[in-house]
Amino acid sequence: MAPTIESVNQGNGGFEGNNKRSDRFVKATWKNKLTALVVDNGELCRVLERENLRAYGVETVAVETGEAAVELIASGSTFNLIFIDMYLPTMSGPEAVRQIRAMGARSKIIGLTAFITEKDEQDFFAAGIDEFFEKPLDPDWFVPIIREVDNQI
Amino acid sequence: MELGQMQGRLAEYTRSLYMEGILDAQFLQLQQLQDESNPDFVVEVVSLFFEDSEKLLNDIARALDQQSVDFKRVDAHVHQLKGSSASVGAQRVKDACVAFRNCCEEQNVEGCLRCLQQVKQEHYLVKNKLETLFRLEQQIVAAGGSVPMAEMTF
Repeated sequence: MAPTIESVNQGNGGFEGNNKRSDRFVKATWKNKLTALVVDNGELCRVLERENLRAYGVETVAVETGEAAVELIASGSTFNLIFIDMYLPTMSGPEAVRQIRAMGARSKIIGLTAFITEKDEQDFFAAGIDEFFEKPLDPDWFVPIIREVDNQI
Repeated sequence: MELGQMQGRLAEYTRSLYMEGILDAQFLQLQQLQDESNPDFVVEVVSLFFEDSEKLLNDIARALDQQSVDFKRVDAHVHQLKGSSASVGAQRVKDACVAFRNCCEEQNVEGCLRCLQQVKQEHYLVKNKLETLFRLEQQIVAAGGSVPMAEMTF
């Protein structure tokens, strides 16, 4: 699948993604300041997911465990988007999502996995995710999701 | 060798890696995350991948060596390896993991051992190829040139 480089210009003097690395070239600008939480136990996947989102102008925080994600949200942090792996070591992805939804979080939650199976799909959607994708993050599918979230704010 | 020749050689080598299916579009994506504020991103991520995957391959070998094999554990490791290889664009490693998963489902130790060999082989191959790629890039930079962004023109 050919990658796409999108320079999405949302115009209207939108708030440009505010990344820590200030001189990074950001591939997209959005109307709103957008934030994301990445939850993945694997360092490589976690780093790549975070960097992909930051490259597209989304302020992103990454944590290793379901517990850490739940704790962050319980402490009052809110995120427009949450990308969460199915298989987390102690608290599973679905369990973390259940707890996050139980706290009233209305983030767009995207479940991720290395291999999609019907059972995993059912479990994860039942827990409260909005979308389910096989890794890795690909701008072809995650940019439209970000755009949708941006337009809904 | 002249700078132009080196750059040509790099482009040719890179193209061959895509043509042979050793790398896929995800690797290109990775390269696009590299910029002046993070000039070593690709090398760092790839190093992380090899560290991680070597550990996973050892864990898998150990799990398959047990008297009573815990296939769920093997499957979990294969799952993680598939995720990370797919994320860096190591296509053949990823494909070998897909095949491996089927053996795990069948709970077939012999089959799993064969799959492990296959994954190790692909892993070794992509490691060598990427080391060569990085060496070519370093030579260009050392000669005062810049490494052109790879293009997917096929």
